This record gives sequence, structure tokens and C-alpha cells, in this order.
Amino acid sequence: MAPRIGVFICRCGINIAAYVDVPKVVEYAKTLPGVAYAEENMYTCSSDGLNKIKEAIKKHNLDRVVVASCTPRTHEPLFQATCEEAGVNKYLFEMANIRDQCSWVHMREPEKATKKAKDLIRMAVAKAALLEPDDEPEIDVIPSTLVIGGGVSGMRAALSVADQGFDVTIVEKEPALGGKLRGFDSLFPHKQKASEVLEPLIEKVTTHPRIRVLTESRLKSVYGFIGNFDIGVETGKGVETLKVGTIIVAVGAEVLKPRGLYLYGEDPRVVTQSELEQLLHTGSVNAEKIVMIQCSGSRSAERPYCSRICCNEAVKNALNVTEKGKEVYILYRDLQTYGIHYSRLEQEAKRKGIRFLKYQADKPPTITAEPNGLKVSVYSPTVNETVEVTANMLVLSTPLVPVSDAKELSQMLKVPLDSNGFFMEAHVKLRPIDFATDGIFVCGTAHSPKDIGESVAQALGVASRASIPMAKKRVRTAAIMSQVDQTRCSGCGTCIDVCPYNALRKNEKGLAETIAAVCKGCGVCGATCPEKAITMHHFTDEQIQAQGLAALEED
Amino acid sequence: MSTFEPNIVGFLCNWCSYAGADLAGVSRIQYPTNMRVIKVMCSGRVEPGMVLELLEAGADGVMVTGCHIGDCHYISGNLHTKRKFALLQRLLAKTGLEPQRIRLEWNSAAEGQRFANLVKEFTEQVRAVGPTPLKAPTPDAAKLLNTRAALAAADGFRLRALVGKEEKLVTEGNVYGDKVAQDEFTEAMDEAVETEFQVHRIHIMLQERPRSVKDMAKQLGLQPKAVLGYVVALRQRGWVDVKEAVEGTPLYAAQ
Amino acid sequence: MKPVLVIGGGIAGIQASLDLADRGTKVHLVERTPSIGGVMAQLDKTFPTMDCSICILAPKMIECYRHPNITIHTQSEVVGLEGSVGDFNVKVLEHPRSVDSAKCTGCGLCSEKCPVKKPSTFQAGLGQRKAIYLAFPQAVPLIATIDREACLWFTKGVCRTCEKVCPSKAVDYEQKENVVELNVSSVIAATGFEQYNPKDIGEYGYGRYKNVLTALEFERLVCASGPTGGVLNRPSDGKVSHNIVFIQCVGSRTQTTGYPYCSSSCCMYATKEAVLIKEHEPSSHVTIFYMDLKTFGKGFQGFVDRAQSHWGVNYIRGRPGEIREDPVTKSLTILYENTEVGKVERVDADMVVLCTAAVPHRDNGKLAAVLGVPLDGYGFFEVGDPVSAPVETGKPGVYVCGSCHGPRDIPESVAEASATAAKAAEDAARAEVGQ
Repeated sequence: MAPRIGVFICRCGINIAAYVDVPKVVEYAKTLPGVAYAEENMYTCSSDGLNKIKEAIKKHNLDRVVVASCTPRTHEPLFQATCEEAGVNKYLFEMANIRDQCSWVHMREPEKATKKAKDLIRMAVAKAALLEPDDEPEIDVIPSTLVIGGGVSGMRAALSVADQGFDVTIVEKEPALGGKLRGFDSLFPHKQKASEVLEPLIEKVTTHPRIRVLTESRLKSVYGFIGNFDIGVETGKGVETLKVGTIIVAVGAEVLKPRGLYLYGEDPRVVTQSELEQLLHTGSVNAEKIVMIQCSGSRSAERPYCSRICCNEAVKNALNVTEKGKEVYILYRDLQTYGIHYSRLEQEAKRKGIRFLKYQADKPPTITAEPNGLKVSVYSPTVNETVEVTANMLVLSTPLVPVSDAKELSQMLKVPLDSNGFFMEAHVKLRPIDFATDGIFVCGTAHSPKDIGESVAQALGVASRASIPMAKKRVRTAAIMSQVDQTRCSGCGTCIDVCPYNALRKNEKGLAETIAAVCKGCGVCGATCPEKAITMHHFTDEQIQAQGLAALEED
Repeated sequence: MSTFEPNIVGFLCNWCSYAGADLAGVSRIQYPTNMRVIKVMCSGRVEPGMVLELLEAGADGVMVTGCHIGDCHYISGNLHTKRKFALLQRLLAKTGLEPQRIRLEWNSAAEGQRFANLVKEFTEQVRAVGPTPLKAPTPDAAKLLNTRAALAAADGFRLRALVGKEEKLVTEGNVYGDKVAQDEFTEAMDEAVETEFQVHRIHIMLQERPRSVKDMAKQLGLQPKAVLGYVVALRQRGWVDVKEAVEGTPLYAAQ
Repeated sequence: MKPVLVIGGGIAGIQASLDLADRGTKVHLVERTPSIGGVMAQLDKTFPTMDCSICILAPKMIECYRHPNITIHTQSEVVGLEGSVGDFNVKVLEHPRSVDSAKCTGCGLCSEKCPVKKPSTFQAGLGQRKAIYLAFPQAVPLIATIDREACLWFTKGVCRTCEKVCPSKAVDYEQKENVVELNVSSVIAATGFEQYNPKDIGEYGYGRYKNVLTALEFERLVCASGPTGGVLNRPSDGKVSHNIVFIQCVGSRTQTTGYPYCSSSCCMYATKEAVLIKEHEPSSHVTIFYMDLKTFGKGFQGFVDRAQSHWGVNYIRGRPGEIREDPVTKSLTILYENTEVGKVERVDADMVVLCTAAVPHRDNGKLAAVLGVPLDGYGFFEVGDPVSAPVETGKPGVYVCGSCHGPRDIPESVAEASATAAKAAEDAARAEVGQ
């Protein structure tokens, strides 16, 4: 049966219509093979526009839909859902990007933009004619979560997931829970002792009936997909297998120890900010005059990021030691005391006589070790002179850096790292704690440097995100995936070699087959199969060919 | 005088380059209108045959863009793109079409300006080379034959299998554990590309009408001995056979 | 399972609602304006990825609108709350739109014909709207509303043009306010912030000098769907501005205004706006006056580095003392102290953008009283223990997320929104097992 394609061309207010002759394009679309109906809308994505699609599907008996508007990256799910509501399978939908990749980039050439819009719609229609309905695999979700990392983020995430009614296993590589918080003395803003926060939390986690804790354990292997992960954990007693529905990455970060920088590692009077924190914890700070240097090893060519918490930690520790009658200088580049709480801390520090001296990245302080102290010499642009201070202790505010096994973990989980080596979220703005891979989430300093409150907020956030599929009990995964034609497969195994996800395996006949839920739909196997035995759903050879040949036709 | 406006097709991966193209739009960065985009989930989905097919159909240029190496949304998809594109370049060299008609680039989601520049540059690059000699209705017959042969070779088992196994062969070794050095592999690939190209060229010619080895050697500018070798190979594959003998000279035809 | 009440339809409220609705919980989303979307809907781009803000937000807004588990109450406010966690009785006051939401199709014909013009809130006052209007083109719900204080029928008893032109007979002048009573298990406040009005800082001349704008106004000016179509026509004479100066910490980090804190996102949005100017016209000259360059978020430092090295944005440390306007050209001169050489210097500009403090929303006091939760000294919602309980108000079952409890950026607000959803889900799970 010949397809009945409906084409909906969006004016996007003036965003498209000012540069593309939309009525002309509508008339053109009506002439394309397979097109049964075409119309224009002011905003196709408005509720009114969506209703018009649904009405037209019914009225004109459409079985495929093309929307020519903005980018499918933001709007395809919306239009697909609309199609489904009107009884058209979401895989029978195609978009032509005539705004982001046409009207907006050809604003000075309206005629050519109109021609290109026609071409893009012709291509979309050509593909739409060959689209086939697909069912999305539905998966039962195992109501259990794996939390990797037993620091404050991991514990808080685990506790919330458990309190929402699901089982949790925490895998921690150290012998005890607690992570970085163990090294802290006091916490801002209420100056609670870190142990007063940590001990009750560990108690709650270890006694919770839904939480299991595996300490001195490491992740060995991860197979599977959302709802159904198979996890291998190496414990002291051997390898244990877990079956979980979702995974939370809460592995934290490490503090940089900057060997060689400002005499660190060479002179015992030079310590890092976190080492000072430990000295405060044990009550043994033996220095009357202390100089702190911010951005020690960060905001540099090697680590081109700000570590967010160091200024706040420096100010907090400076206040603590000042209370003990000591004199503190903080040499900073830009003071990163943001928000209401940390700004208040900064003001308190200034009130209490802590000296802040700005330095420039290209003129870092110089340190000379002398018997009576460390001579710190620094040019400060705010006073326009070089200041010299002889300190008994030099404290380096060093950045948080990714954990040493971040790369190994990222490969095991098949999730990306950013250019600084921290775990990379699905979208910086709107999916800050999801990974692009369904069912895996990230929180705390594994994602980027942040303070405890922010880590806890993210931990609770992932506890929500990771529980959603478990609460729903079943999830669907995209049908964009490979399918092996068993009559053509020769069993050569090349597809298995190239698949980055182990989503193909040999069946009992020695032929390849796709594990639907694992396949992410990249299409590399399809492009590789020597026998051309693999069909990529929604991106078939024929569909791509039709699009390409349509691109070369004249309108 | 009308200036030549090249017809260009671009394959863009969904995650980086297509997003970068969107960003160019969101930022209103202007670039030429010549490129028509086909979105694929990963640049690794693009087969050499898909590009050759578009060139055969009259595209003046084809660009493939993916995520930067190391940034692939599918971890390693663009490494496969790189290998497949190298094969495509080898095959294109056989056709007599200019190498400037194809281009592989990496473009991140944050590089809107770079994407616009790429389209600009590539459009100018293709414009400088001129219209494709394959455009209907008067295509260059020899180059068209070559392009079809390259396309058939690209879609054939041998080259697809070789490029598919490249990574494994050069990093892990074959089933016997023999690791192949990259230059050895390149050499084997060159040989395979030449053989497959010639075999398919002869096959296409024999699909048109029965011919003798001598006749084909003359037309292709090859030694008769070499042509005979390819014909033997074709007979072994069962693709051609002797049709008849005219004055003692065998004429071959496609099966 | 009982529903959850979410107050505020900005990005935080939207995310909290979607998280809960996706897991099967019913949500009532209460928004005081005619459309959900919040401040993010007004932004042109988002830093550091330069996504088109409305393009990434609109699908989430529509998702809320279409979600079978979410009921949106616009032009509404929470006026009563009684009970305790697991069993709150809530009163929601729905103000009249004067338009029947079941009939209105959002065609916009009414506003086209309406004779009354008012400054558009969505366009930050730079553009105009009518007395009957759609909040903005992507508004959710896309239903017209009548501003009764501006409408000729409500003020003078004449006109009724909209009623005559409406093709679906949706205009309803008789509509009354309506109180909806709900029983919910938890409450999430996500009511956002507002911008400090810099007219009190006389030396900057905002309100007197036409070419001194706030950053939110500039955001509309640079936006392609803004009043100038994204062309940087300055307000005084419509001339395209090529020389633009940004001033950071306007009204913030100073005791004089009462907002001594850092507003957290201004350094980055100023950098973003500076890059936008350069993208529009690379030969433009952009200077940012700052106190400390706050680059503490993920990807921020790299973004600033690129603004400097690639785009040539000029950063000068210092807080300008004064802006002077040329009475004839209306161009501006900024006076500042160059601390490195210790003398007063000046910079000329076609336009100056003030990056103003993010301050508590004026309705916070009223809402806090209704909810029975505290505000801090500035007027933000107060979280008792920001370390261990970063989204809890101290009153069980009442949570806060986003910038209603202090300035924060979009990803922080989104993550916190999910956190409040987790807390609400914990409440529901406890209620189910009868704890």
C-alpha cells in the first residue's frame, strides 16, 4: 500500500518564515511522492500545532508524519509522542531541520534557503516513505541499585533509594565507609565536627535493612543494560555477582598532592589544605604565621579548571586557625566564595583580620626556605607592590582531581569522562546527574569538585533519578538497533569485534545475534558486516540511500 | 556567467557534529547553502559504498563529520569511521575522481563556528575542483565505470571484511595469535583494493556484453596477462564464464 | 499514593514535577504567572554550552503540560496549608484569566486586535504586549490572559474587541477567582528569585540613561525572538552597538544594598553575553568589569579562557565608580580606578549592561508564612542544615529547591529539584508502610 505522508511545516513565528517562503514550500511538499497532506503552522510545537497534527492524521488517514521545523535533538520526542497519541507509531516520524540548519544559517539568502528547505523536506519524505514501525523492547527492572563509592555522596544516595523502598548495595574499595569526609575537621557553616555528621550516617547505612555494604571491594565487570545489569564485584572472599536495575557512580575525587610545587614534598613546612584540615582535626597546628596559596595546581594549562571548594575551605580553615590566635594570609587569584553562605564566610574572614592578597597567574608567589621560616614573596596588583611575608607554614590549596581508577571505571560502565577526567553527564544544563546511558547516574565530586551540601543534593537527586525506573517497574528502550539476518550471516564475528557495547553475540548455530536491550544503535556493525547481513532499524541502507539520492534531485 | 554551485551531501553524527551544526544555527553563523545533511547516529554508520553511491549519482562532494577522536558518544565509533574513510580514499583514487570531492572532519557539539567554517571551506574546495564528471546526462563513461567498480568493490565481502578486521588484526592478532604490523596491513589492503577494483571493473564490463581478454585489456589499459588473471579470479567466484569462442579467442560473459 | 504539591513552574519546579510524575506520583504544579518556564524561558542561550535556552526548555514545558500525572495551575498561588507530612491540606487560589482555557486555541487574534499596549514582562520591558496576550510564543499552556488592570473593559467599561474577534468564543469577562482544595503528602517550593532593580544606584544612571540595561534586558535584546530580532539596537536611538561594557556585582557584594553576597552566576552569564556579542559581530569591543572572576562550576574556567583567547573579550578588575552620559549622543563613559597603576581611567561605550544581584522574590514572605517555614536574613527560604539536609526547610514534608533559597545556576537547580523529588518519594514510601 502506498504511504500516506503528512508534512507539517513550521513557521516558528518569524524564525523560519522570515527567510524561507513557507507557503511555497508547503505547495512544493504537496507534489512529493507519497505526500497525502501538507500544511503550515505558526508554531508546530505549540499545543495547538500538536493538535493539528493529530487532527490531520485522523482526517487524512495519514500513516507517516514529517515535521519540518527545528532540530530533532530537542523536539523529536515531542512530535513522536503526538504521533503515537494519534495512532501512528513513533518510528514512522521524520524531521527536516529547516531552522537551525537552514533559515538561521542562510538569513541573507532567502531564495537559496527556500530551495534548501524544499530539498531537506524532499529528503525527509523519501526516508519517511521507507520507514517501518518498530516496537521498543520492554524490560523488567530489577528493584535494586548498585552504588559505587561509600563516601558521603554514595551513602546519602543509598539511604534515600533504600528509604524509597528499593534494595541497595554499596561497593567501597576502602576498609571503611566515609570517604573524604574522614579527613575533615569541621564543616561550614555551623562548624559541626565532621565526625558528628559522619558517624550517625554510617550507623544508619550499616543498620538499614535494605542496604548491603561491601567494603574492600572493587568493581570487576559490568554487563547488561538499564533494568538488568550483571555486576561482578571482587570482595575479600572472591568475586560476587549482583543483579541490579540501576547504577549510581559516587566514587568521589582525590586531592592533588603537588610534588615540587612551592617546595611541597621538599620542605615539611609546606602542606596541602587537606593536610592542614587533618592537622586541625588532631589539634596540632604549630605555626604562628600561615600563608595559603590558592589555585596551587589548578586554573593552569595542565588543569584548566577551578576546583570550586578550595577558596571556601581556605577561608574556613583560616578562620579556625585565626581563632587560635594565628596570623593568616590568603594569596588568591579570584576569590571563589560564591552564594550566600560562602560570601558570609568571606566577610567574616575579612572582619577578623585575615589578609587577602591577590596575585596574578603569570606572576606566582616565590618561596624561599629559610631556617626561621618560609619567605613568601608575591606581587599583588591590588596594592601594586611586591609583598614579602615570612611564614612558619605554607598551605597549598590544591584542586580535587579525578580518582585514579576513573578511566578504568568509565570503560567498564561505558560512560564518558570529560577533558579533565571527571565523569561526564548527559547534558550540562538539563541532565546534570544522568549519564547518556540509561540507568546509570553520577553524583558528588566524581562529576566535578563540589562541597558536601552540593554533593548531598546531587546524591538525593540521583536517588530520585535511579528510583524512577524501579518505581515504574518496566522501561522501554529505543528501537534504533541492529538486527542480524540469520540467512545471510556467515558467522565471521566481525560485528562482535567492532561493537563497543558487546551487544552482539554468537548463538547456538554460531551465527551473530543482537542483544536488543544492550544495543545503543550506533550502526557500526551494520556498516561493517562483510555480508551486509545487518539491518540498522530506523537507519537502514535503503533509507539512507533514499535520503541521499533525494538530496541530489532537482526540485 | 553563472557560477557553479556544487551539490554536496554531508553525513553528520547525531551527538557531536549534528549538534555543532545546530549550534551554528542557534548562533546565527552564516554559511553557504550547498550542503544537504543526512543525520546518522554515529559517523561509524557511514559505509564507503554510501559515499561512492552518491558520487555515482552526481554529487559534487560528500563530507563526513563525527565526534573528535576520544569524544565519540559510542566510545569508539569514530575510529571505525577513520578506517572506513581511509578505504574510501583508496577506492576514490582508483576512479579518477578528484580526492578533494570527499572530506572527513571531526566537529564537537560546542563548535558551531567550526562547523560553519568547515561547510564554507569544503564548498569552496569542491567549487574549485569543478562540477562532477559523472553528472547525467553526459557522464564521463570511463570514470563512471570506475566509480561503479569502486562501489561494487566497497560493498563486496573482501574489502568489508578486511576493514572490519583491521583493528583486531593490528592490535590483537588473528585467530592464530599472529599480530599484523600496520604497514603490512596497509600493503595487504592496497593489494586487495587494486584486485577488487579491477575484478569489479571487468565484471561490470562483462555484464554489458561478452568480451575477449585482449579487447578488455586494450580498453582498460592493462596487460592482457593481468586481465586474464582477474578473469580467472572471476571464474573461480562463479561470476563469469566463457560464452563462446570466436576465431579461437574466448569471449567471456557475466553469469 | 497521594499527590505532591510543587510551587513554582521554573526549571526547578518543572524538573521536580517530571521526576515525580515519571515515577507515577500525581503532581499539582502551581505557577503565579500565566505560563510555566520561569526565567530560563527568557534567556537567549545558556552557558557554557551555548544551547538555545527556550529550545532545550520548551520540550520539558510541553512534557509537563502533556503528562497525565501533572496538573498545572497557572496564575495561581498557594494561600493555605494545614496538616503535616503525608497529609497536608492545601488551598490554591486560581486568579481569573478572563479566558476560557478549554476554548482558547492560542491563535493570538485577540491580542492582534486589542488596542491597549503595555510593557511586556517576558521581554523584560523592552517590548510591548497587549492587555489580552499570550505570555510568549512557547507559553505553556498556550492560553491568552487578560490583564484586568490594563483592559479597557475592566477599567473603563468599553471595548470588548477581543470578545468580538475571538473565533472560539473563549473570552469570559465574568470569570471569577477559584479556590482549589488539595490533599497532598509533600510540598516542594521552587519559586525562584528576582533581579535587583539597580535604579537605586544613582551613579550608574539606570532608569535615567536609556542605554544602561540590566543583563536580563540585554538577554532579550540579544535574543533572536526578542524585540529587535537579536540586533543590538540600543534603546536611545536604535543604533547598533559595537562597544559594550558589562559591570559585575551591581547591587551585590556590597553592604549598602543589603545584598552582600555573590550571586553565583553573573560572571558566567556576562561572559556568555559577551561571547554572543562577538559571535554577532566579531569586531565588537566588549569589556567586563569584575571583582573576582567566579569560574567555580564545571566547564566555567575553560569557557572564560576561550572568551578571552578566542573571542578577545576584555576583562578588567574593578568596580566602576560612575557612568556618565553624553547628553547629545547618549553614549556612555565609565569611570573606574585602575588599581595596577593607581589612577582613575575611563572607557567609552555605546551601551552598558549591569549584572545585578539575584535577590529573594518579593512574594517569599507571604508564601513562607502560609507554609510555616523560615526565611533567612535576606528573605530567601532558609535551609536549616545546608550540609546534611540541603533541600529541607526544617518542617517535615516541606522542601525547597533552586534559587528560592539562594542564587544558583540551572544544573544545580535541576539536581536539587530531583533531590526534593527523592525526599517526597521517601515521604510517600513511609506513608505506604504506615510509619
